Amino acid sequence: MELANTLSQDGESRGGVLAHLERLETQVSRSRKKMEEPQSAQAEESALGTRIHELRRLRDKLRAEVKQHQASVKASTTNVEPDQTLEITEQESLKRKWENVKAILQAYRFTGISGKLTSRGVCVCISTAFEGNLLDSYFVDLVMRKPLQIHHHSIPVFIPLEEISAKYLQTNIQHFLFTLCEYLNAYSGRKYQADRLQSDFEAFLAGPLQRNSLCNLLSFTYKAEPEGQSFPFCARLLYKDLTTTLPTDVTVTYQGKRKYCTFCSHD
Amino acid sequence: MDSQLVEARALEAEITALRRACVEPPAPGEDTSRVRKSFRETYQADSEGWELSKDLRSHLGHLESEIQFLSTLTGISIRHYSKKTEDLTSTEMTEKSIKKVLQRHRLSGNCHMITFQLEFQLLEIQNEESLSSVITDLSIIMEPTEYSELSEFVSRAEERRDLFMFFRSLHFFVEWCEYRKRTFKRFKGLSLTTPLPPTPSTNLAHYMTVIHSWTLAALPSQNPHYEKYPEAVHLSEGASSSCMGIRNPSRPGFELVIVWRIQIDEEGKVLPKLDLLTKVPLQALELDKNGVIETAPLSFRTLLGVLGIEATLESLIKSLHTEASN
Repeated sequence: MELANTLSQDGESRGGVLAHLERLETQVSRSRKKMEEPQSAQAEESALGTRIHELRRLRDKLRAEVKQHQASVKASTTNVEPDQTLEITEQESLKRKWENVKAILQAYRFTGISGKLTSRGVCVCISTAFEGNLLDSYFVDLVMRKPLQIHHHSIPVFIPLEEISAKYLQTNIQHFLFTLCEYLNAYSGRKYQADRLQSDFEAFLAGPLQRNSLCNLLSFTYKAEPEGQSFPFCARLLYKDLTTTLPTDVTVTYQGKRKYCTFCSHD
Repeated sequence: MDSQLVEARALEAEITALRRACVEPPAPGEDTSRVRKSFRETYQADSEGWELSKDLRSHLGHLESEIQFLSTLTGISIRHYSKKTEDLTSTEMTEKSIKKVLQRHRLSGNCHMITFQLEFQLLEIQNEESLSSVITDLSIIMEPTEYSELSEFVSRAEERRDLFMFFRSLHFFVEWCEYRKRTFKRFKGLSLTTPLPPTPSTNLAHYMTVIHSWTLAALPSQNPHYEKYPEAVHLSEGASSSCMGIRNPSRPGFELVIVWRIQIDEEGKVLPKLDLLTKVPLQALELDKNGVIETAPLSFRTLLGVLGIEATLESLIKSLHTEASN
């Protein structure tokens, strides 16, 4: 280049041969370059190629290292996590169990007999129902000792509790409880029916409904039609079996006259 | 060459990044600190929770033994229970301060050998004066289904939506079944060990022993002095069968069959029904001038009324036994 430059600066005078020689020289050097270029290009290319090769190798090596590193780190973190998650899941499962157990304890009332532990023993709660209508509950507080005793209870006086406990309390507590259940459910059902008769059929009743506390003896006067001139009938229902809600004896009397029905209060 | 250059540049960049990743104190460092932090948080949030879990465990144990106790007391074991509540209160109702809620309950468990699954709906209406709860739907699945007497009973209970009657009658039915089984076993000479349920925590162990004392006392046949008649008594379907056959091996052809059914009536009352069937060879019938065999079933009923079930059965066995040995 310099040669060319110097030549061009001075060259106009020398002209001719020198110029020609210079031209030839530049030609040769150019052609040489041209010849070298591919070589160097090749060399460069091969150098680049090997460099890439090296780089790739290094990159893969580093990738592997990083992976290992991350894996080891993960291992250490997961060593921390399982304990913690173990705690959490254990506690969760405990909570779930506890809720389930509590629910089951509450569900016992749907069997009709449920109980709560007391310091003395157990307080049994007997639930009653009639035709799907849940009615009153009664309780019996039992002292768990030999002999079993009833501490106190809410059973109405007219239910034969003493009789039932004398028969079964000491020998078969399940039988005692379910028999009591029978009596109480029957009483509850009869009472419910009597109440509904009084309230829902008021229009048909010609007088008050008479009943005893056990609701196993009912008597009332009723008309076949709420309005109108039909004569009243006197009905008497007797439930001999205290464990049922259906009467065992029904007497209906009819008097042409307005007077005199045996069990009715009015004249 | 350009592509190669590009690739080379890319590789170089990647390598630098990887180098950084190797060297840096881990992003995991952040992870563990995060983990530790959340652990600490949860620890603190229920740090009463840690103690709670110890308390929870012991409380849970206590509740579980309470369930065990209830199951011994009633004879009914509830294993699963779930409930869903749906609020049906309309705006009109809220104005009048009436609340209407529909609960769907699911209950399953067993009473001795019978398992049940119940689903029922409970409608609760609360107004100012009172709360009314009505079972509006009841569906019952029972197993085993070989107790045919039960299927009718189940449909009746479902129709009436009488949940309590279901459990009551179930209890008495099972009681009778167990009694029948024990009686048959006793006559056959089979062992009568009743496995006691495992005793729970010490608080309740005392109560459980009180209840179990009746279990043993009520078994009539634990008395070793009762006689056994293993050859005379024949149970075709094992101890749970409803029939007991009495034969004498030295007198083939004669058989007395006692059919002991347990029925549940319309009101849910459980009653045993015993019948006597006689199997006698024709010749014997011809010889029977007094018509003893004909009247046997009736006499059986009378005897039942006088002696009770066990004594009646024993006398029947003895009569066939001794007669034959003459």
